Amino acid sequence: MRRLLLIPMLAAVACRGGDTSSDRRTLVDSRDNYDPRSLDPALSTDVPTGRAVAYLFDGLTQFTPDARVQPALAEQWEVSPNGLTYTFHLRHGVTFHDGSPFTAKDVVHSFTRALDPATHGGRAEPLRPIHGAAEFAAGKATTVAGLAMMDEYTVAITLDEPLATFPKLLAMPVAAIVPAATPANFGERPVGTGPWKLAEWKHDDYLLFARNDAYWGGHPTADSLRARIIAEPSTAVAEFESGSVDVLQIPAGETSTWTEDENRTPLLSSVPALQLVYIGINTTRGPLQDVRVRQAINYAIDANAILKTLVSGRGRRAAGVIPPTLAGADTLRAPYPYDTTRARALLAAAGHASGIDVELWTTSNPVYVRIAETVQGYLGAVGIRTKIMQRESAASREAARKGQTDMIIKDWYADYPDAENFLYPLLHSANKGVGGNVSFFQDPEFDRVVSAARREQDEVKRNGMYREADSVAFTQAPMVFLYFYNDLYAVQKWVKGFQPPVIFNGQRWTTVGISRTAP
Amino acid sequence: MLAFIARRLLLAIPTLFGVLVVAFLLLYIAPGDPVTAMIGERADAETIARLRKELRLDDPVPQRFAHYVGGVVRGDLGRSYITNRPIRNDIVERFPKTLQLAGAAMLLASIIGISLGVLSARNPGGWADRLALGVAYLGISFPVYWVGLLLILLFAVTLHWLPPSGYGGLRYLLLPALALGMRSIAFLARMTRSAMLESLAADYVRTARAKGVRESVVTMRHALRNAMIPIITVLGLDFGAYLTGSILTETIFSWPGLGRYVVNAIARRDLPAIQGSVLFLSAIFVLVNLLTDLAYAKTDPRVAFR
Repeated sequence: MRRLLLIPMLAAVACRGGDTSSDRRTLVDSRDNYDPRSLDPALSTDVPTGRAVAYLFDGLTQFTPDARVQPALAEQWEVSPNGLTYTFHLRHGVTFHDGSPFTAKDVVHSFTRALDPATHGGRAEPLRPIHGAAEFAAGKATTVAGLAMMDEYTVAITLDEPLATFPKLLAMPVAAIVPAATPANFGERPVGTGPWKLAEWKHDDYLLFARNDAYWGGHPTADSLRARIIAEPSTAVAEFESGSVDVLQIPAGETSTWTEDENRTPLLSSVPALQLVYIGINTTRGPLQDVRVRQAINYAIDANAILKTLVSGRGRRAAGVIPPTLAGADTLRAPYPYDTTRARALLAAAGHASGIDVELWTTSNPVYVRIAETVQGYLGAVGIRTKIMQRESAASREAARKGQTDMIIKDWYADYPDAENFLYPLLHSANKGVGGNVSFFQDPEFDRVVSAARREQDEVKRNGMYREADSVAFTQAPMVFLYFYNDLYAVQKWVKGFQPPVIFNGQRWTTVGISRTAP
Repeated sequence: MLAFIARRLLLAIPTLFGVLVVAFLLLYIAPGDPVTAMIGERADAETIARLRKELRLDDPVPQRFAHYVGGVVRGDLGRSYITNRPIRNDIVERFPKTLQLAGAAMLLASIIGISLGVLSARNPGGWADRLALGVAYLGISFPVYWVGLLLILLFAVTLHWLPPSGYGGLRYLLLPALALGMRSIAFLARMTRSAMLESLAADYVRTARAKGVRESVVTMRHALRNAMIPIITVLGLDFGAYLTGSILTETIFSWPGLGRYVVNAIARRDLPAIQGSVLFLSAIFVLVNLLTDLAYAKTDPRVAFR
């Protein structure tokens, strides 16, 4: 009988030896928490897919880890004086992973394919500004009028209207360049020009990339890169502590256990993510139509305390929607102070001395739930009776898009590093509802300045316009400006050259190496 | 016996059809538009309209239901809205991993749970009994994610004996199987103990001892076999539950099984993936119940196939 009890113990001991960690020429990432939907750039809408696409493919442009845009498959480009036509001069001698050469034809084909309804993509937003893209996507034209191949290594792209951020849009995953032949299983067996080739994809388990020795930018330092898919943040932490993954994104809830531990602080690096956490206020609903009420809400909430206690100080108070690291942000603008007297006065002036009733929506994200409860307390103190509506993300997002939420806690993570990517989607009237403006904010002055900034080629002027629009938004208070989040990374001491990316697809691991001390 | 199996399988058809109807309709009541979930944070109205048309989301419900049932009958569970891959392939890829985990959990649970139960019944109040009681309390009171994280901390982070998570050989299987099987270990230990106490006090055991049969043979052949019926019930129910509900364990241990697949599908409103998995898992549950009933008959000759 006793023998039976011994079996599991023996098994556990027997397993102690055996194959220890894998070959340390392999970098191991732990950041993906769900399986990429596909490795086809045309289907990319989520972060794990976007990261993998950045390893496997190149765009005409690309982002550096610190979110500057730089030439990739396009060596250089120029803009016509009217701002409508971009001419891209392509890199010579680049080959796809299957050995076929990269030419201008591939650019035209890739963009056409991403816009083609038959691709079942439908996420080609960044390519929509191209002239004729809408007609083609709607099936009213057989080609995209604005795409022209000038010669084998030159492409001219004409836009519907000038758009200064266009080169940045081309660094997004959906604009990555794919070869002419894309078989039905391309999403599983992708072929690109990127620094890594796909070696293996085990769904919900890991993606294994092997270095592309023929990469035009010089091959990656390490032999391979394994992107583990780890659903549970605590598990990722345990994987890091046991030494089996190289890089960890520290979950918000675990911040202090890392920052207050002397053994761990040398491994940490913090980077301001281009992420705004805010409470969208629907400017079309009831008392919230009154700017004084919206300002009162901003004054009533102690956002500094929320930042400090609920997110362990990982971020910077927001005074507008533009992250302070981006050009156009007014870093001197002071955020709304915590001032209940002023809040009450503004409410009274708006005719709501006896208070108002609002619904505050949140997803089940534990941090946001806590923020909601805290905000409920703050608002209650000035007479705003708040009912918390907690729904999971798909349901609350849909309600917000349909304009059914008074207030909703949301975050916005930049697709590309530009102030326009905050001002335009979040608050321009063209994007009300599904476009991202869940405040249903419509301000002629704001719209005019943002629209003009989008067309403006002169960077200095453009940044001035961004600042002006942000200032209008700040005063009109179509949201509670909470904070810009900081990403906190832990990197093993044997990993050399890993720079935490500011933008999700900005780190391609090409210059990251492993020192000999790795276990 | 064959007639019994055939009749049970036929009875499963209306059950599964009921599951199909409920799974199909529930998703219309639940808020959250699949297209909204598909396209991410930003979109335009035209794209949404086009996708809705492609996915036949605006067709009348009876028509869509008929279309879906037609596919299911042909063995086609449709394609995922999100990945565009056939649902059947996704299930075929993941189910063996869930089965492996559930099987290992059951194996561990039977070995540890039944051993503990037999040991405690042989000497009630002795050290083995007290140990088994302690294990049972822990197993029943601690939720699986808590046990899972503790196991990872102890065996992976502190002792470095086993990898914290992931899919692979036996080394990767042990911790999740133990975490998943913990509840069954507890139940089985208690169940076995009481069933064994009962049968050890039975007349036939006294007779066997009087004949001079060795104590180990008395315990194993005479007492345990007769105590098996309630044990098989627990094993069968738990196995069915593990096959369909190892979501937490799979999530904590990054185990690429069907549980995580279902959770992701729900989060992303991937209707065909949810419907297909629910249907598949229900079929598995029905099958496991059938196997449990067959096992009763195998153990106890008094149970007849009817």
